[in-house]
Amino acid sequence: MAKRKRRNIGALIAVKNHWIQKYLPFTLGSLSLVWQALFFYVPLLCVIVLSFTGDTPYAAFQGFFSAVYVRIIVRSLGMAFLTASMCLMIGYPFAYFLVFHTHRLRNLLLFLVMLPFWTNFLLHICAWFFVLDRQGLLSYLLQKLGILSGPLMILNTYWAIIIMMVYFYLPFMILPLYTALDRFDQRLLEASLDLGATWWQTVTRVLLPLTMPGIRVGFLLVCIPAFGEFAIPEFMGGDRTMFVGSVIKHLILGAESEVAGSAFTLISSLVLVIVIGMLYLIIGRLVPSRYEKE
Amino acid sequence: MRSSWISRLPSFLLVVFTYLFLYVPLFVLVVFSFNKDPFPAPWSSFTLDWYRELWVSTELWDAFKTSCIIALSATFLSVLMGVMLVFFLMKSVRVQRILGIFYANLVVPEVVLAVGLLSMFSFLHVELGMRTLIIAHTVLGLGYVIPVVYQKYMTIDPHLIDVSMDLGATLGQTFMRIVMPLLRPALYAAGLLVFIISFDDFILSYFCAGSSAQTLSMYIYSMLRIGISPVVNALSTLLLIISSICVMLFCYYNVRSKLL
Amino acid sequence: MKSIHIKNVSKSLGGEAVLEKLNLVIPAGKFFVLLGPSGCGKTTLLRLIGGFESVDDGEILLGDQDITTMPINERKIDTVFQNYALFPHLSVFDNVAYSQHLKKIPQDVIAEKVMKILATVGLERHASKGIDQLSGGQQQRVALARAIINEPEVLLLDEPLAALDVKLREKMLIELIELQESLKTTFLYVTHDQFEALTVADQMAIMNYDGQIEQIGTPKEIYEFPKSAFVAQFVGTTNMIKGKLTEREGASVIDVASLGSFFVDVPQDKKYLLAQHADVLLSIRPEKIEISKTPVEGFSNMLQGSVKSIVYYGRSTQYNVVVSSSLTLQVFEQNEEHFPQEVIDYDDIVYLYWQKENVVILER
Repeated sequence: MAKRKRRNIGALIAVKNHWIQKYLPFTLGSLSLVWQALFFYVPLLCVIVLSFTGDTPYAAFQGFFSAVYVRIIVRSLGMAFLTASMCLMIGYPFAYFLVFHTHRLRNLLLFLVMLPFWTNFLLHICAWFFVLDRQGLLSYLLQKLGILSGPLMILNTYWAIIIMMVYFYLPFMILPLYTALDRFDQRLLEASLDLGATWWQTVTRVLLPLTMPGIRVGFLLVCIPAFGEFAIPEFMGGDRTMFVGSVIKHLILGAESEVAGSAFTLISSLVLVIVIGMLYLIIGRLVPSRYEKE
Repeated sequence: MRSSWISRLPSFLLVVFTYLFLYVPLFVLVVFSFNKDPFPAPWSSFTLDWYRELWVSTELWDAFKTSCIIALSATFLSVLMGVMLVFFLMKSVRVQRILGIFYANLVVPEVVLAVGLLSMFSFLHVELGMRTLIIAHTVLGLGYVIPVVYQKYMTIDPHLIDVSMDLGATLGQTFMRIVMPLLRPALYAAGLLVFIISFDDFILSYFCAGSSAQTLSMYIYSMLRIGISPVVNALSTLLLIISSICVMLFCYYNVRSKLL
Repeated sequence: MKSIHIKNVSKSLGGEAVLEKLNLVIPAGKFFVLLGPSGCGKTTLLRLIGGFESVDDGEILLGDQDITTMPINERKIDTVFQNYALFPHLSVFDNVAYSQHLKKIPQDVIAEKVMKILATVGLERHASKGIDQLSGGQQQRVALARAIINEPEVLLLDEPLAALDVKLREKMLIELIELQESLKTTFLYVTHDQFEALTVADQMAIMNYDGQIEQIGTPKEIYEFPKSAFVAQFVGTTNMIKGKLTEREGASVIDVASLGSFFVDVPQDKKYLLAQHADVLLSIRPEKIEISKTPVEGFSNMLQGSVKSIVYYGRSTQYNVVVSSSLTLQVFEQNEEHFPQEVIDYDDIVYLYWQKENVVILER
């Protein structure tokens, strides 16, 4: 009697298990997808929808087609691209050196590059404030040494902002470049030189095209967040110069006009996407990378 | 590449200068956190006063606690969801294409996401606070966890899963005994990444915190607006130490993950 | 040990039909080899039997049991993969013990079983090592041990020796034969290497590019009596001569254009070709041809030609001899002496001889 009972329960469990085995992975796995859809894409949709809910659908947008706002967007784009370009110019040789010319110290050096990336960026602002403020360290030193007559007035300038931006975003550029260069087969360079190419030709014809994906990633990783920055410009440049981020912050949190804020967010995002898209097309034509390794 | 010492000099100098550029301010910050006189006086004497002041500040500790809770929750949630996604991937290969939706996290500036979440929450009349922050940070986290975990999962030899089943294991057993151990270092690395990103996050927290919650970043921001003080230096030094530990752990797990 | 019946199995991959209505019987307890060129579908068949893919049509039977829809982990079949697929995070011991851990067998029983199996493959001293500390050959043996500890009815081996160097491969082949003889498990060994196949097989099947079985038999049957041109040329090398089968003065001969006629023995099953005076292919293996610089008595057939190229293989020497404007014959001579009495050199005029029983007639 007992044996028969056990077998029946076993059969039941088997059926239930089968059901669980069939649907459990799906429900569990799709949780992340649902979360992403709900809390990433729906908010984006909200921004778009909200921008059209003014007195008239286009009311919110009209205010932004003035010279002031255009200048702000252009300025932000300029800052983003300038930052990215400088990061690239510093970062590429840096990564190259790290990959090809260091061996024993490489892990330590990588660790040191990553560390700033992992520290609170406001700390960095503190640090640079400390150094660059009119009463700061650099000012003090330069005055003591007699190079400067008055306090250092580098803060609240455009260049202070750029310095800080490059400082902050450099690791974002170096890491993807490092990855791309690390995966690069050194023997290709040897083959190119062997066939008679000069160093410069080898770099432009072999190294750059094949590391293009890494360059693209690094550029994106710097450009896109840099476009929306407001904290760095605010601290380093003072409240005078307005950037896209500061405008959005002001509209949404300060003036409480969410509709206008959403509209402006939408406009500037679109501009960013279009400009980056065009950049990709142009650079894609200039530097062919047909045989990209994934 | 065997190039001569001299041709390497310019890039060597660049590297040295870059490291100096990255670290001198931080170094100065740390050193002056022990300075007796408040800034801008030059070095006078060693003191731990500023650290003591930190220790006593309740507002600071509240903010610190808040940041920790949010970061840990976001890490836990995003890593958990990443693991579950892998389990799902084992069963159904067709899902892979849809994973592209997570890469959008990198292409959208944080402000835009912040504005979006804010609008959505106010539309749904959800009160801003810890819960909304955790939700927001988890989304941020997913954008890092999913690509990392997926990449690592793809590098696992599919034959291993075949063999495991061939030897008699069910899908679940294969997942627990084979896939998870191989994924574990990558999971730790991804988890650390999410933790730090959430802990250091500013823009998203600034928009979505509302009046009730304050993260550490927001606290520092408000302090900075007042002006620099050595207390900030002290705080920075401590946070630097925490970050260093996290990075070392991350590197460790990254290396272990690549070895498997 | 059980047999495997493949009944009318069809399988398409990526829109292309790999196997169509395949029928095959793998006898119980034997070392069976499936030999075929790369990409012919033999690995697909293996995966179907193991359960890693499902059939589009047809049935697979293990003994009398229909396992066509049975999931991988329920089939009493274990596989040794080409790249071994050893679990990198487990030691040698844990890799081998994996299947036993799943069954909740007590630890000491497992330990005993594992050490015994490891001793069988000669790895008892490596039990606690990590996988990466082993050589290719040792990893191979761990993969084997891991599969056989489960005492499967059938062991599937997918080109397991492909990654090993020649000397190691030869050694492993002998070890595999001994292993199969002692275990008496049915082995299904898949390879594209005919040397491996001929060495280990009790029985072998030749699969062609279209996924169809051309011939099944013992290695000797397949090598000496191939049933098609494909088999004759895929297993070993052969000389193919086109000609017409006919009778003259009571003897069967084959007429070859611009070369003349040669005597042949026509077996019973090929008599119909003779009746039809059909165009056929004559297959002569290079080692069945004698080569000499002077005429020799006692052979049914003889040809004259000049030596075009010589390849030295150590054990044997291969001569490529031009016998007509359209035909070059390969000849293998074993190097039996340090100082051969007759040295054959480039451009020498030589005589080729073979007996009429040592050829195979194949349909054109």
